[in-house]
Amino acid sequence: MIPAMTEATTSPAPNQPRLPGDLAIWIFILAEMLVFAVFFTAYAFARAKDPALFNECQMTLDRNAGAINTLLLVTGSWFVVLAVQAAHRDDKAVIARHVALGMLCGAGFLGVKVVEYAAKFGAGISLSTNTFYMFYISLTFFHFMHVILGMVILSVIWNQARKGAYGRENCHGLESGAAYWHMVDLLWIILFPLVYVMR
Amino acid sequence: MQFKSQAVAKPYFIAAIGLFVGQILFGLILGAQYVLGDFLFPEIPFNVARMVHTNLLIVWLLFGFMGGAYYMIPEEAETELASPKLALAMFWIFLVAGALTIVGYLTVPYATLAELTGNNIIETMGREFLEQPLPTKLGIVVVALAFLFNITLTVLKGKKTAIAIVLLIGLWGLAVFFLFAFYNPVNIVIDKFFWWWTVHLWVEGVWELILGSFLAFVLIKTTGVDREVIEKWLYVIVTLTLITGIIGTGHHYYWIGTPEYWQWWGSIFSALEPIPFFAMTVFAFTMVNRRRREHPNKVAVLWALGTGVMAFLGAGVWGFLHTLSPVNFYTHGTQITAAHGHMAFYGAYVMVVLMMISYAMPIMRGRAANDQKSQVLEMWSFWLMTVAIVFITLFLTAAGILQVWLQRASDTPIPFMAAQEKIALFYWMREWTGVIFLVGLLLYIISFFVGKGEKAA
Amino acid sequence: MLKVLKNPAHRAWLVLIVATGITWYLGEIGAYGTAAIVAMLVIAFIKGRLVILDFMELRTAPWLWRILLEGWLIVVGGLILLAYWISLK
Repeated sequence: MIPAMTEATTSPAPNQPRLPGDLAIWIFILAEMLVFAVFFTAYAFARAKDPALFNECQMTLDRNAGAINTLLLVTGSWFVVLAVQAAHRDDKAVIARHVALGMLCGAGFLGVKVVEYAAKFGAGISLSTNTFYMFYISLTFFHFMHVILGMVILSVIWNQARKGAYGRENCHGLESGAAYWHMVDLLWIILFPLVYVMR
Repeated sequence: MQFKSQAVAKPYFIAAIGLFVGQILFGLILGAQYVLGDFLFPEIPFNVARMVHTNLLIVWLLFGFMGGAYYMIPEEAETELASPKLALAMFWIFLVAGALTIVGYLTVPYATLAELTGNNIIETMGREFLEQPLPTKLGIVVVALAFLFNITLTVLKGKKTAIAIVLLIGLWGLAVFFLFAFYNPVNIVIDKFFWWWTVHLWVEGVWELILGSFLAFVLIKTTGVDREVIEKWLYVIVTLTLITGIIGTGHHYYWIGTPEYWQWWGSIFSALEPIPFFAMTVFAFTMVNRRRREHPNKVAVLWALGTGVMAFLGAGVWGFLHTLSPVNFYTHGTQITAAHGHMAFYGAYVMVVLMMISYAMPIMRGRAANDQKSQVLEMWSFWLMTVAIVFITLFLTAAGILQVWLQRASDTPIPFMAAQEKIALFYWMREWTGVIFLVGLLLYIISFFVGKGEKAA
Repeated sequence: MLKVLKNPAHRAWLVLIVATGITWYLGEIGAYGTAAIVAMLVIAFIKGRLVILDFMELRTAPWLWRILLEGWLIVVGGLILLAYWISLK
């Protein structure tokens, strides 16, 4: 990790081990994943203290919304992968379109989440209701903020892509943003079963 | 020195060191009062000594930050400072205001001081670390704004390097969060809640950006490692600091009347606060190991490495010791906190300011580095002060553990003052170690006056 | 159809969709207990690994990065399993 810090840029070379995107974004991703790892673990152990409460409250969550959101994030990630692949084969025309489709999926996620929150807050549930809801709101809300940050990053990339900034020779920024977007997906893949389904 | 206007840093640095001496002297008075309750009473009561000790610390560090910024910004932006005259004027205003405040603390009872300085107009006084009378607080704002105006303008007309931008963000953040010093609601929970926005978001937020930026600057200059590499590290450190530090504020919200979820939020995020400090340690050592030149100023490099290690130990490790809410339930407001406070402030902020001074002062005095004799003496001061602070921390930690046991955890807890008497031995050891710290500081000052300049800058 | 599946991203997407459906279904039938927990964690591990290897494109990255990310999945999954095992006792 440390020696790699001195590599200024990495250009795509076939069959050579290569970390896509910028090293700094990967350090950032690791830090974010560490925060979530601690949060997930804290949830699991807090649940172990009072499984009955967690099981009961879990039933009130909207599992369909959670599953739809998984599909949206997975598909959004997939579109962004296609954008990166397009950049690798220098197919500049479709990059922006795929990034836009990825963002559309992200927007869909946020929309579903807002409806879900509205129902919960409408029912008078808050951070102080009990430990389960504290975790449910904190975890999903921190993740929500990460989706928003991912969307901001994607919008910058989309703007650049429309100007034709990315191609085979220059996909560093695109790959960095894509890696962050996939992390948002990865976190939800753990979060959804953990908070919505596992009992 | 590349730019003439960098010289305005000099008076700031001199004032910083002068006030540092004052802080340590009051620290010794304070330490003595822990074991000799009526020492210097009624001339300097405990609460006044404590106020002077902590306020001087903050003020001299601010002098150091401003001096460091005035030195660094022209060199980074590759242009003269926007207004050296303004910088010099602000220096005198800040110094006089600071001195008057301390004189006020020492000569008039605090309540009278509050009356004399218009505390009834906006009540801001009487809160730990923010004890300054209203005129002083306003003075700080004026000085800070003029200072920020000055350096921001300099960066705007010159080159905008990542290091300079990070420093600007740190210093603007410092000014913005100070504004919460003027917000003093009647509800004591809300008061405390926002009080931490100044206190915590300074030392565990924006000040870390200042620290990172100074460290990056001196490492670029002394190691010759590519700017691109150093900037990448700086970005990582800044991000880690903000991810962990902002919500990490929650570790102050466990027992002040805020909702319970803060125990989770505070524990989870602040448990990760050592990471940026660890990154800084790795950063400093990696860069020095990869150095492409042997800079003659060895002692500045020593301070840089020292701040990397001691910040991690003091802020990271000693912070983590009592940051989780189940632990903090027992330890809050004990000598554990004092142990952490001493080593963290020394390791992170004292050392980084001394590093800046150590690097910049010889250059401002017309040489790349001080001669061998002076540097050796300064290294002695480095080790004396650092080892002394390590032992102060260890003694206070021992005192704290005992205090927690006697006063809170045992089956037959005893009252606060009774517990204090039982741990007096550690206070005595801390006090004598403090004397060694003072010796180190005096050697530091003497090192400026021995030897002749080695190389022309 | 088979040609489409040559692209690892398409394959991964398909598996992810199906796996999400399985987890959702397990929720719908009210699956609980050791078997359900292990099944869901295994599914999450497979999904996470696909995202890491085929979406993040770490399959061809230096081994250190694969270890870090896949290790994260294993550690998080393991700790969750441990906590759930404690809750079942």
